[in-house]
Amino acid sequence: MSSAATVKSHGQNAPAPGESPSGRGRWLRGGGGRRRRAARDNLPEDVIPIEMYGLKRGTTTVLTTVCVLFALFTLAPIAWIVINSTKTQANIFETFGFWFARPFALFHNFALLGQNVDGYGTYIQWLGNTALYAVLGGGGATALAAFAGYGFARFSFRGSRALFYLVITALLVPISAITLPLYLTYAKVHLINSIWGMILPSMVSPVGVYLMRVYVEVSVPRELIDAARLDGASELRIFFRLALPLMVPGLMTVLLLSIVGVWNNYFLPLIIFSQNRLYPLTVGIGLWAQRAQNSGNAELFPLVVIGGLVTIIPLIALFLVLQRYWRSGLLLGSIAN
Amino acid sequence: MSSTAIRTPAARAARPGRPRQSAWIHRRDRRGLWFVIPFLVAFLLFMIAPLGYAIYTSLYTSRIIGGTVFSGAANYTTTFQSGEFWSGTVRVIIYAAIQIPVMLAIAFFFATIFDLGVAKWGRLFRTIFFIPFAVPAVVGAVMWAFLLEPQFGPFVHAANAVGFNNVDFFSTNLMLPSIIVIVIWEWTGYNMVILYTALKSVPRDVVEAAILDDTPLWKIIVRVKLPLVRPAIVLLVFLNLIGALQLFTEPLILQYFEPSAISVNYTPVLYIYNTGIAGAQYNLAAAAAVVLGLVIVVISVGSLAFRRSRGGVS
Repeated sequence: MSSAATVKSHGQNAPAPGESPSGRGRWLRGGGGRRRRAARDNLPEDVIPIEMYGLKRGTTTVLTTVCVLFALFTLAPIAWIVINSTKTQANIFETFGFWFARPFALFHNFALLGQNVDGYGTYIQWLGNTALYAVLGGGGATALAAFAGYGFARFSFRGSRALFYLVITALLVPISAITLPLYLTYAKVHLINSIWGMILPSMVSPVGVYLMRVYVEVSVPRELIDAARLDGASELRIFFRLALPLMVPGLMTVLLLSIVGVWNNYFLPLIIFSQNRLYPLTVGIGLWAQRAQNSGNAELFPLVVIGGLVTIIPLIALFLVLQRYWRSGLLLGSIAN
Repeated sequence: MSSTAIRTPAARAARPGRPRQSAWIHRRDRRGLWFVIPFLVAFLLFMIAPLGYAIYTSLYTSRIIGGTVFSGAANYTTTFQSGEFWSGTVRVIIYAAIQIPVMLAIAFFFATIFDLGVAKWGRLFRTIFFIPFAVPAVVGAVMWAFLLEPQFGPFVHAANAVGFNNVDFFSTNLMLPSIIVIVIWEWTGYNMVILYTALKSVPRDVVEAAILDDTPLWKIIVRVKLPLVRPAIVLLVFLNLIGALQLFTEPLILQYFEPSAISVNYTPVLYIYNTGIAGAQYNLAAAAAVVLGLVIVVISVGSLAFRRSRGGVS
């Protein structure tokens, strides 16, 4: 760790051989590269022709059929929820689940999302809450992970190793084992029914810190930082102006995972919120499903369906737009060590 | 760190300035702490402190008369002797033992297909298979509950149509398999993407050498590729195991649809939820949460150690 001892000029800024963009580092980088793109798109130049394995052409047909079958299994619930969001309550139960039925009630159902049906809460409000929790929680988690990952990767202060191992150990602690303790603590410090009780713990992402540390190791050259230091730049300025732009692909992956984590969280908001105006979508929809089944509020069924559909659309859109971040090797690079 | 050797000459050349230099290192190092502190504060407040408080709480007992008194290991004794806690624990272990291998086998199968390029439209299929990862477990469970519902669910109609009459996916016997199907639906794509990326990083020349040796395809997959992606598989087992032992959302939602098939202690987390939140037995629930945390750490670390010790490749 004697890297600090370097006295280097700008001219020597080329990455050291050990950090050149090869092997895993290459996968972790956000940049293009013909081979990498080829791998992603399955272009023939990178794929060994199947004849070389001694396979017949018919194999492709058989295996494509298997893929189609699994795709049908994967898409069946999505198709069901799209189709049934257009149905009335009666038709959801009385007509065939995988085809449309008259009357076309999509817009009527959709309008119900703005109303407080049966006094259990308003969907639009839950959607706003979820977005708030996801943006603040996920954004906060990403910011804290970026700072900490950079700190752990590029500084060796006293105790840094021990602290990092503590964070890694926290990966073992199951979230649900921490949730009830959080509830008990909140009861003491008046964070029950507080949005901060939901947002602040969402900002703690040990896996995010781990991912960012790995990412900084391969994508932010020490020499660059050392050179900037010799130029007299402050550490904060180096972080924001030099390191952060290089960390963007890693940040996007952590942000994506954190937002999905908060968006999908059920257990924590279920136990810390007792007022339905604070609910996120998961808790609200769960409550509707329960009331529709057990309290005779069957008119809630169409709301459960359309509510579920509107809940998954933003996330699916997010994943389709940000494909290159979950397709890239980052997830692998993080876990394969 | 790998570049240390290259820098050493430069460091030696700069020896005259050493005292000033080490002071500089020291100052720089402390600045590093400032980058880590924001996370550490949140980490201490929202992870370590609640865990500590839970352990503290678990050592006390609240009584209607007499208030809260120190009771030592009494809550742990109750948890360990509680058939309710252990029946749920055994159930999630059985569940994990079926769900994880089946899901990983499916994920590896498709990852291999896409890696070899032996199916058409690989990129499209990978995107489709990944979609359920974006669906919250609550919504996924609700959709599947409607599909499997005994009276009007389309899957029951389908089962009738192919000759299985009176299938009840929500019966006591079929509930766990139903949950397994739902979770496989949710997580196969995510596992497949990770395995696919791992397979893609297997060097091409290794595979080509095997082909030139006339190695049959199944041997290339099992003897060449599988060992090389072993670290990824080990970590997926580990991650899935931690998730499986915490099974909660799917059974809770299905309980809304079929209360009789899912007991209040169906899984350990449901037991903690129903004991602590619904039953307001905070001290006992805290003890159960601590025990569950330990069980998961022991099983996951144990499985990791076991996997590592078997076979030389890792």
